[in-house]
Amino acid sequence: MRNIHTQSPLPEMPGVSAAAAKRAMAVELSMPSRVRYTLLLLVSVCATALIGALLLTETGLPLRTRGAMVIMVAMGLSWTTFAAWVLLRRRVLLARHSVVAARMAVAFTSVFTVGAWITGVARVVERWYVAVAVGFVMLSVAIALLVRAHRRIQALTRRRAALERELGSLGEA
Amino acid sequence: MVALTEAERARGALVDELLAVRCQLGDGAAFDELIDRWHQPLWHYVRRFVDSDDTAADALQDIWLRVLRAMPRLREPAKLRAWLFGIARRSLIDRLRQRYAEPLPVSGDEYDIAGPEDTEDHAEELSVMHEELERMPFVEREALVLFYLKELTLAEMAEVLATPLGTVKSRLFRARQLLRRQLEDKGVGR
Repeated sequence: MRNIHTQSPLPEMPGVSAAAAKRAMAVELSMPSRVRYTLLLLVSVCATALIGALLLTETGLPLRTRGAMVIMVAMGLSWTTFAAWVLLRRRVLLARHSVVAARMAVAFTSVFTVGAWITGVARVVERWYVAVAVGFVMLSVAIALLVRAHRRIQALTRRRAALERELGSLGEA
Repeated sequence: MVALTEAERARGALVDELLAVRCQLGDGAAFDELIDRWHQPLWHYVRRFVDSDDTAADALQDIWLRVLRAMPRLREPAKLRAWLFGIARRSLIDRLRQRYAEPLPVSGDEYDIAGPEDTEDHAEELSVMHEELERMPFVEREALVLFYLKELTLAEMAEVLATPLGTVKSRLFRARQLLRRQLEDKGVGR
């Protein structure tokens, strides 16, 4: 037995402290900010992939144009890293948010892949198949993320139901 | 406050796990319930290591933000209690490091410790005991607060402190010796 506990003169807690924590948590949990960073991540990934594909496949571009494209790829990678960091460390994605983000990723990468294929059919760009291949890779990753997000939410939902049953049976006992 | 029975502890662990699972799902109401359930114990823990209510309130805000941001990475929701105190501890250590701009000593040899001893149920002596607790160094005070006031098990303490079980035992042993010496100097517990 730990007797100190029973007589502990614990410090008083101000009531405002918990309310302030709840308000801060509500702001942190808001969906719009997550959607914004997910959009930023998807746009920067798709733009970087597109410019990178053009840089690798288009021949005969002037040196200055190639230099500008390298800078744009670097900027795109920076934005991608920033958005990914925010979503992993600041506006974290909980299970339900992950499903929404993965659906957005599937939609974006589908549009990118179809767009790349259309430019190929219209013969707008040489070696268009590189962009289509990049699109398929991104789409595959997005689908894998969506499947993983669905599995995660199903596992958590099952565990929640089991715990509720267990607690319910304890309550009846 | 009264020491928890095994049944209450087991039920509490289930309630904690359910809350953690709901939080991981993204249930906003679950975070409110988590704060309702754990804000006060965390407050009492934090308040013993900072010098004012305002500082404790700031620390708690930081702790809850860390909890939210780390929630997707909580692998064992059943160990929510130890996980929460672990986050609170890291937040406090970061604050102390910022304040003193030097790392805290974290070491200790392995000693065996005896079980917690009964203390005399005497208001004045307890008051002196808590004053002496406040005067103790961070590491020793933390060990006593977690073990005696927060009633964490030695295994849970090892998780919270991120140290081997042997080190936890030795730290607790050292803390009890130190507190006992301080109390004897004050003429308590002779």
